Amino acid sequence: MSQKYYEFFCPVKVIAGKAALEHIPYELTGLAAKRPMIVTDKGVRAAGLLDPVIAACEESGLEIVSIYDDVPPDSSTSVVRDIAGIYRQEKCDAIIAVGGGSAIDTGKAVNILVSEGGDDIAKYSGAGILKHPLKPFFVVPTTAGTGSEVTAVAVITDEKKGVKLPFTSSFLLPNAAIIDPRMTLTLPPHITAATAMDAMTHATEAFTCMAKNPLSDAYATAAIRKISQSLLKVMDNPKNAEGRLELAQASTMAGIAFSNSMVGLVHSLGHATGAICHLPHGLCMSLYLPYVLEYNLESIREPLGELLLHLEGPEVYSATPVARRAEATISAIRKMRDQLYKRCQLPRTLKETGKVQESQLDQIAEMALDDGSIMFNPKEVTLEDARAVLRRAWA
Amino acid sequence: MLLKRIQPMVFQARRLYVDIMFQVMGRALQAVSEVDETVQNEARALPKGLLFEMMVMPEGSRLIVEHTGDGHFHYHGQSAPRPVDLSIQFKHIAHAFLVLSFQEKTSEAFANDRMLVDGDVSYAVRMTRVLNRLETFILPKLIAKRAVKEYPANLHLPEKLISAARIYLKVATNFVETVRP
Repeated sequence: MSQKYYEFFCPVKVIAGKAALEHIPYELTGLAAKRPMIVTDKGVRAAGLLDPVIAACEESGLEIVSIYDDVPPDSSTSVVRDIAGIYRQEKCDAIIAVGGGSAIDTGKAVNILVSEGGDDIAKYSGAGILKHPLKPFFVVPTTAGTGSEVTAVAVITDEKKGVKLPFTSSFLLPNAAIIDPRMTLTLPPHITAATAMDAMTHATEAFTCMAKNPLSDAYATAAIRKISQSLLKVMDNPKNAEGRLELAQASTMAGIAFSNSMVGLVHSLGHATGAICHLPHGLCMSLYLPYVLEYNLESIREPLGELLLHLEGPEVYSATPVARRAEATISAIRKMRDQLYKRCQLPRTLKETGKVQESQLDQIAEMALDDGSIMFNPKEVTLEDARAVLRRAWA
Repeated sequence: MLLKRIQPMVFQARRLYVDIMFQVMGRALQAVSEVDETVQNEARALPKGLLFEMMVMPEGSRLIVEHTGDGHFHYHGQSAPRPVDLSIQFKHIAHAFLVLSFQEKTSEAFANDRMLVDGDVSYAVRMTRVLNRLETFILPKLIAKRAVKEYPANLHLPEKLISAARIYLKVATNFVETVRP
């Protein structure tokens, strides 16, 4: 009897494409919501990205009752409590998170408080604490990388205790993710590149780590194909709406893939580097991806070789001997990073970032070893292994 | 018909096996923390007094150990003196049996969603490494290879045999001490 087993779950309605934002009023009405609140950050508002969302709702006679636009990059328990207070005061009945990872995580956490009651979000930290569906919650991503719109996780900082609180529950998943190319058209080149490499890493690790499964594989490969076909086109022509939509969809697909198959050592090292050196997450992913694939190579040779088809297309794939495909996949990823460096100086090594010191590598290695995602890496990582990968990624 | 008659006995045998394995593992965790420096170094990062539990949902067998400080564990049996800090929970006894009979690696069981972690995930990662280290000592290499993600290349036979003998001796002593009135 086969020992294989997997679980796959994604109940999020994906609303993607031209005029997707204009579906928000209809979808909210379908959930009996009439008084939505927008949760976002100042950057999103300043970039004018709220305007089409508000216009889409007002045109359908749906009033946005309240807008909170002060979500910080690392959202905290007090921010969540304040927003929940405004939601209650204004008698809102739904949340629309517009932004990147922080705004989306804040929206998820606020939804816990306004649905479950109370002011202390820390009470709901952990896995499986929530037992009931929450209020209607929509997400409009403004970056194409995190995949938070389809993940059942949120992380909020408890500023008093100085710790990050994780929240995990399928009830955190939004009712709908609205993917509209207008929302990512103005993303600056280096953020476009870093977030796309974040999605690329989600998909690559989903496809090569221990919890891979046939359904997450399908999403992961489709995401990789979209990114490899569209990223450089968008870098060359940032107003390419079709390419932007492809990247945004790829990010969502990679999010669906990794939230059902988890990630590995790239994320363990990336989380540690982000915490110690304060580098953006997407950049960390881009930095470590080829070095970790080289480290894992003999454990993932077959699936990694398959990715060549999705990265380079059928001609390159068929012209490459089977025994060389895994190495060719890593070369293709390196080539993509070189192209991104040429276009927007996205660093390829830790040294190129100018923000990491060689003396910090040991600390990063030690912290990475305690990261939850290391459990799903196909190879057992020792401290010496992590140090070796970091040394290779240094310069 | 025969299968129907045998099934309750099979279930009972499985429950008994899981129960005994938890008792052995709990005592062996205490023992390995007394004999192996690598385990002690892993455990030192855990808070003193941390109560770790492995259990079968909803109210099945369990083992509880406490980090008493300086990398040492103390086995508490099936009952905790206070609420546990970290719990690794098998969703069903069938899943616990798969892992404890070495048909599925601990890391595979996590990847296959057979188990849940309630508590700090970083501590769970450490405890998984401790469990893996324990298994490489107390199981024959062929079986240990089925239980852990990667059998350590630097663990040679003499070290393995000496450590295993010391762990088994301590487990046996602990069994005798706990059953003696």
